[in-house]
Amino acid sequence: MNSVGKSWLLLTGLIVFYIIYLLFGALVFSTIERPVEEQLRRDMDALKQEFLNQSCVSAASLENFLVRVLTANKYGVSALRNSSVTSNWDLASSMFFANTLVTTVGYGHTTPLSDTGKVFSIVYALIGVPFTMLVLTACVQRIMYPLVIAPVCLLQRSGLEPRPATVVHFLLLLVLVVLCFFLMPAAVFSAVEVSWSFLDGLYFSFISLCTIGLGDFVPGMQPRQKYRPLYQVAVMVYLFVGLMMMYLLLRTFHKMSDLHGLTSFLQLPRCEDSDMEEEREPIVHEDSRTANNMTEKAASKPLDPGSQPSYNTINKG
Amino acid sequence: VAAPDLLDPKSAAHNSKPRLSFSTKPVVLNTPEDECDTRTTVMRWKTVSAIFFLVVLYLIIGATVFKALEQPHESSQKLAILAQKLEFLAMHDCVNSSELEDLVKQVVSAVRAGVNPSGNSSNQTSLWDLSSSFFFAGTVITTIGFGNISPHTEGGRIFCIIYALLGIPLFGILLAGVGDQLGTIFGKGIARVEKMIKWKVSQTKIRVISTLLFILFGCLIFVALPVVIFQQIEGWSTLESIYFVVITLTTIGFGDFVAGEKESLNYLDYYKPGVWFWILVGLAYFAAVLSMIGDWFRVISKKTKEEVGEFRAHAAEWTANVSAEFKETRRRLSVDIYDKFQRAASIKRKLSSELGINASINQEMTPGKRTLSANLYEDREAYPSLSLNGSLYLNGLSPDYADRREIAVIENLK
Repeated sequence: MNSVGKSWLLLTGLIVFYIIYLLFGALVFSTIERPVEEQLRRDMDALKQEFLNQSCVSAASLENFLVRVLTANKYGVSALRNSSVTSNWDLASSMFFANTLVTTVGYGHTTPLSDTGKVFSIVYALIGVPFTMLVLTACVQRIMYPLVIAPVCLLQRSGLEPRPATVVHFLLLLVLVVLCFFLMPAAVFSAVEVSWSFLDGLYFSFISLCTIGLGDFVPGMQPRQKYRPLYQVAVMVYLFVGLMMMYLLLRTFHKMSDLHGLTSFLQLPRCEDSDMEEEREPIVHEDSRTANNMTEKAASKPLDPGSQPSYNTINKG
Repeated sequence: VAAPDLLDPKSAAHNSKPRLSFSTKPVVLNTPEDECDTRTTVMRWKTVSAIFFLVVLYLIIGATVFKALEQPHESSQKLAILAQKLEFLAMHDCVNSSELEDLVKQVVSAVRAGVNPSGNSSNQTSLWDLSSSFFFAGTVITTIGFGNISPHTEGGRIFCIIYALLGIPLFGILLAGVGDQLGTIFGKGIARVEKMIKWKVSQTKIRVISTLLFILFGCLIFVALPVVIFQQIEGWSTLESIYFVVITLTTIGFGDFVAGEKESLNYLDYYKPGVWFWILVGLAYFAAVLSMIGDWFRVISKKTKEEVGEFRAHAAEWTANVSAEFKETRRRLSVDIYDKFQRAASIKRKLSSELGINASINQEMTPGKRTLSANLYEDREAYPSLSLNGSLYLNGLSPDYADRREIAVIENLK
């Protein structure tokens, strides 16, 4: 069949393009980062050498010490003097950790150390990840009406055609989300966190809201952070709401591309509720729908026996 | 959407009785507000906030359990490393604590930058050679984001943002496409199995069983097999391998365990691309399973809603029909009674005109007897009232009284 063959062709084309994209990214990252890494390595060697020259420490015992320090550091335990006060597993931090687990961001700044912790993480994630997805989808579908459908109706009533109306609305929503969930939090983070620049804050917001979560920047990890629990809870709320807005954007984009015929061209699954005509009607035929409503309302009352005053007023068939 | 022909009473009328006319939809299933929302998948605010509260509760429970499990372990690790530090300082007198602090700080930040200061640096492979960068690009696009490697230059970070902006939708589309194909293959397989099975097993049972088999088969290939492989090659324990597989395939990606990053091992050439391929197909597989289950739930709930709606429509239709029939019967009976009275009155006229009965007898009667006597005796004044308004209010009696007498007459006629 032609459509089946076409879909397989599309798929292979997509996979090939994906591999090329990955290769391209690998090349660029390699060229940008490698020189810096070399430099840092040379600095490290020099530092070690300098330390060894100054003191009576042998290379072997220094290596030993460093390995132990690094192992501890990998699990979030710092050997530095001033970090012994705060724990990584007090209630707010544990909740933050659970949140990163459940939203699949997964920073990795703290990871479960014990075996029981790992087992519990597995079970918790297997239940929590689909659950969170369900909640996010439900929330997004709920706020879809006031944030997407109603404004699009408004735009259409002010004279735009359906298709440009959705495009305009999507662009407006995009600008709003970028402003409120990327630029503003980046400014806040660069102000609150001591060592972060604005770009670092933006990078952190982006990496977190896409649930990549590399973990090189994690808020609230500075040793002398004031109001740390409150700060972590605030970041959690920001992550959750931001994630919801990203889903909303994605869904709006999906509906928009449905309307423009993009998804059927790429033979992708359409947005689930787009095959329901009643959802389309508010966007496209708003006035006729209200007219239909009126007639339906008038006809909606079932005939009750007491409603007719006398026998002869009932029509004779 | 309920079948419209069932709601049309005109098509449901099988006999030629005169139907009372009413509109095509006696009962509308959904109120107009529901039509703005989508189907069963939209919940009301109460439900959504209840679920949100549940999520918060779930997080709090997780937090307390993690705290209880991990904090003791963390404190013991802390004590151990501090003891190490003191021991080191004690063993080597010429090192003072501030120099050591300095060194440790530098080492830690170097590790954060991805450089491992322990060991000889000359025979260490770079973290940013082509295959590792490829792996990193893959973790960014799939949103796993291990974090054992991360860009440290400003240019690298900006490029990472742009790269992810374009790459994540691309990967999403790829995932949707692969998942769709897998779902189609699976659906065709189920259809074939359904044809092959000769016994009378319900469709739902077949579907559920085959989905379970599919999930089991997938778990075997994408979870059990990699666990064994990682155990062998990376040297992790079983628990650590399972932990790594789950954390990777759900795209959480902590980065404490990463396949192919141990420096002490010499990996085969196709190990890392193999791991990447496993991640891609495993993710697509689980996405396909989730979407299939979601589709079924939607179909089941839609069917249930349809069936409930049809049932409601049937019930309303039946009620409307019954009441319409009853009214029709009453109407016809009252029309019959009226005709009979008219005929009786005309006969009475003829009789009285022939016999010449005295009209004064009527005035002594009670209203009830009067009504009954209208059958037999002539009352010339009653005729205009009867013929004028065409109603059954005999002799200008009050409507209630007339109704009751009418009902009594009807019952007698029955």
